[in-house]
Amino acid sequence: MNTLTHLTKRSNKLITAITLGSVLALSACASTQTSTSVDTGSFSMPAYEYLVLDNGLTIYLMPQREVPLVTVSAVVRAGSVNDTTSGVAAMTAQSLLLGAAGKSKAEIEQMVDFLGASIYADAGKEGSYIGADFMAKDSDTMLPLIKSLLLSPNFDANEFDKLRQREIAGLSQAKESPRSVISRYFDKLVFGAHPYGNATSGTSESLAELNISQLRAFHKSYYQPRNTAISVVGDFDAEQMKAELSQLFGQWQNGEKVVALNLKAHQPELSSANVLLVDKSDAIETTFLIGGKGISRDNPDYVGLKVVNTILGGRFTSWLNDELRVNAGLTYGARSGFVAYSQGGVFRISTFTKTSTTKETIDLALKTYARLWETGIDQLTLDSAKAYVKGQFPPKFETSGQLAGLLSDMYLYGFDDGFINDFQAKVDGLTLAETQRLVSTYFPQQNLQFVIIGNAEKIALIAAEYGEVTSLDIKAVGFGG
Amino acid sequence: MIRKILGLVLMLGALVSTTVQATQAEDIKSFTLDNGMKIMVLEDSSIPNANMYLFWKVGSRNEVPGITGISHFFEHMMFNGAKKYGPKMFDRTMEAAGGANNAYTTENLTVYTDWFPANALETIFDLEADRIGHLDIDAKMVESERGVVASERTTGLENSNWRTLQEELKGIAFRAHPYSWSVIGHESDITAWTLDDLVQYHKTYYAPNNAVVVIAGDVKFNEVKALANKYFAPIPAQASPREVKTVEPLQKGERRTYIQKASVSTPNVMLAYHVPSTSHEDYYALDLLSSVLSEGNSSRLYQSLVEKQVAIEVETYLPMTIDPNLFYVMGVANPGITAVELEKGMISEINRIAREGVTEKELEKVKNIKLMNFYRSMETINGKANTVGTYELYFGSFDKLFNAPEAYNKVTPADLQRVAQTYLRRANRSVAVLAATEETDE
Repeated sequence: MNTLTHLTKRSNKLITAITLGSVLALSACASTQTSTSVDTGSFSMPAYEYLVLDNGLTIYLMPQREVPLVTVSAVVRAGSVNDTTSGVAAMTAQSLLLGAAGKSKAEIEQMVDFLGASIYADAGKEGSYIGADFMAKDSDTMLPLIKSLLLSPNFDANEFDKLRQREIAGLSQAKESPRSVISRYFDKLVFGAHPYGNATSGTSESLAELNISQLRAFHKSYYQPRNTAISVVGDFDAEQMKAELSQLFGQWQNGEKVVALNLKAHQPELSSANVLLVDKSDAIETTFLIGGKGISRDNPDYVGLKVVNTILGGRFTSWLNDELRVNAGLTYGARSGFVAYSQGGVFRISTFTKTSTTKETIDLALKTYARLWETGIDQLTLDSAKAYVKGQFPPKFETSGQLAGLLSDMYLYGFDDGFINDFQAKVDGLTLAETQRLVSTYFPQQNLQFVIIGNAEKIALIAAEYGEVTSLDIKAVGFGG
Repeated sequence: MIRKILGLVLMLGALVSTTVQATQAEDIKSFTLDNGMKIMVLEDSSIPNANMYLFWKVGSRNEVPGITGISHFFEHMMFNGAKKYGPKMFDRTMEAAGGANNAYTTENLTVYTDWFPANALETIFDLEADRIGHLDIDAKMVESERGVVASERTTGLENSNWRTLQEELKGIAFRAHPYSWSVIGHESDITAWTLDDLVQYHKTYYAPNNAVVVIAGDVKFNEVKALANKYFAPIPAQASPREVKTVEPLQKGERRTYIQKASVSTPNVMLAYHVPSTSHEDYYALDLLSSVLSEGNSSRLYQSLVEKQVAIEVETYLPMTIDPNLFYVMGVANPGITAVELEKGMISEINRIAREGVTEKELEKVKNIKLMNFYRSMETINGKANTVGTYELYFGSFDKLFNAPEAYNKVTPADLQRVAQTYLRRANRSVAVLAATEETDE
């Protein structure tokens, strides 16, 4: 709630799964500059244990003793990329909370709230998540609860109908805020019919079609021990926790083998510049994304790109924010970032401005982006970005929730703790010459894709200057609504 | 390594008390410089980072018509150049040292937040001392920043129904007190204040005697004290700012407002009731009442409105506040439900508490939720700094943080019923409705 009443200096992030950084190419004369490295203190992965039960269930245990809390997070390797009907992964995950093992939704909520605890469940593109946050003393109640929600949800028809109705209403409500839905439009524009283009939320029509048996089938297909990881982080004894989890989950049976999707295949080529113009007729500002394809999470250049993007649009003094906000006063914030999935991703520049300065802002964003190729990065800026990225890294892995999220991501995207432990060395090792290679290899330069949400009557002609325009009303079904 | 300490045992009726490790009063060391600046330090070496939070006792409550929003605008200007570090150099220097920063402005306070590798501590002191002691407001920066703040205002109204409703609701709930306008200010004022207004504002409010500083993280108390003496102590104190003396006259009947926005899919209703300040003894009961109403799916409003498909969302909000302020309740209607039906449902649930009270078990539940929230806030160096500073400002001393469990614990079901009866009354209420079309008189 505070964010609604506190005004801040910086713009709120457009919500993204994972954002990385931006870059510049180096001009030859800059090579005479010497590089200096800032010591930001040492940071490594907190001690943790990793084990796999006989049934294939992966378990991560990481004791953290700062506060008497425990976070449990289970991730199942299935998400909207596996949707047969749009939204089935997300609705299956959310339906886990509608009652389980004979307990009704209301009974579970009473019990959880009474302990001051919280539970959540949802799906993303490639993972379905269920988790809880509770006081250490309540482990004996909360762990069995998580087990029953994950393994034996009731899938109560009446509760499902109510949830679905709320979700459909929520889709319309989300569209009242362009910022909260624009990423869905962008993914669809870049990936088209490929599973990465699926809106995790589903649409009002697809949700209306869903039924309980589809949820049960999805649950049966993917919610299996060999397709799941459970991470426990917080105030507990590792040996005791190991015994307890083995006892709770050891008898969980696998079903039919899960066939992994080949998500690398059939990603559309972006052979022309496209503009998706989304009309919100009472808009007082224009919200837009510009970009194209990005990288997958396991890309060896992930960390280097984080540094380069930091320079382009990943921090307050980034080129984009400096030009569009600080120098021109056109917007409250401009940024850029990579969003990485397991087999691909997107890169986007994002900002917003009042309707009357739409063209000026898009043009300045493009001009600033072009500096990557036209001017390149200088050594001082690179050194600063490296210090910044290193210095801001440890607070991302401070809470039990953040650490459980990291462990879940390690399982889902197949990286290991080297990501944390080698992070500083990787950043330190990035040279100017490397940044040039990163720019030319990864940042989309041709055939840029645009999503523009605003008052079409006033900006349609402007939109047409940037590519082949497809127009639709923000209330139109599709694109996650 | 985190030191193990005992603290914060909340004894709740049936619950077994447990021994926990969490920050306690002795972990916070403080000192006050001769110029009146109070500085608090929490040593915590869990990550190689630290932060500095600077709380200034100035917010939109210190404004007057004509310069509404200037506290927030000024917050932006604090980043735009001083004597040693000119325009842009505050951010560039901090980021090159591995640090990041932000700031926020509320009705009561302006808070600056620096997050940095602990090694950069001296750089941060140098940067902050420069802008506190020698801000140099650049006329050109003022003009581009007006555009930034105008965009911040617009994007809030475009994307947030909460902000749209709250801005209108404050305007009718307060007719005398400066809480009447939004923190971001009136559109016309954003374009109108002068360089001189800003210079005066800095001189008046950005005096060390008007600040509280909290530093948490991988630092040593003695090192912080030495740096504070070197960088902050030379900044001279100023005369205390003018007190805000306006007392909002008693509201003697319901007030209403309506906002039309074509793209709103279903009606949104926001209620606001006048309540006393955070330092008032009823604060804890009101805060628990807010939780009973809306925290968790077992809460009253969720059960009666969301569960019954009347609303798709309900929330309550009780801001911490220096002067008497508002208790907010907001709901978003389910399709097919009118604004009138939603409002009726919200009010009927509030009135039920005034009429019948709450159960012991419900109260115990929200006390547990509060304890959990407290632990969550103390899990990071950030949360620690923000929480400690907030208590210092709103309760008069950070020690109150450690009395909070006891203060919450003392609240009884009868207290909750009493505050509901006292404050959540029709005559004390303002209502705002946001919808695509206004309901007709027929």
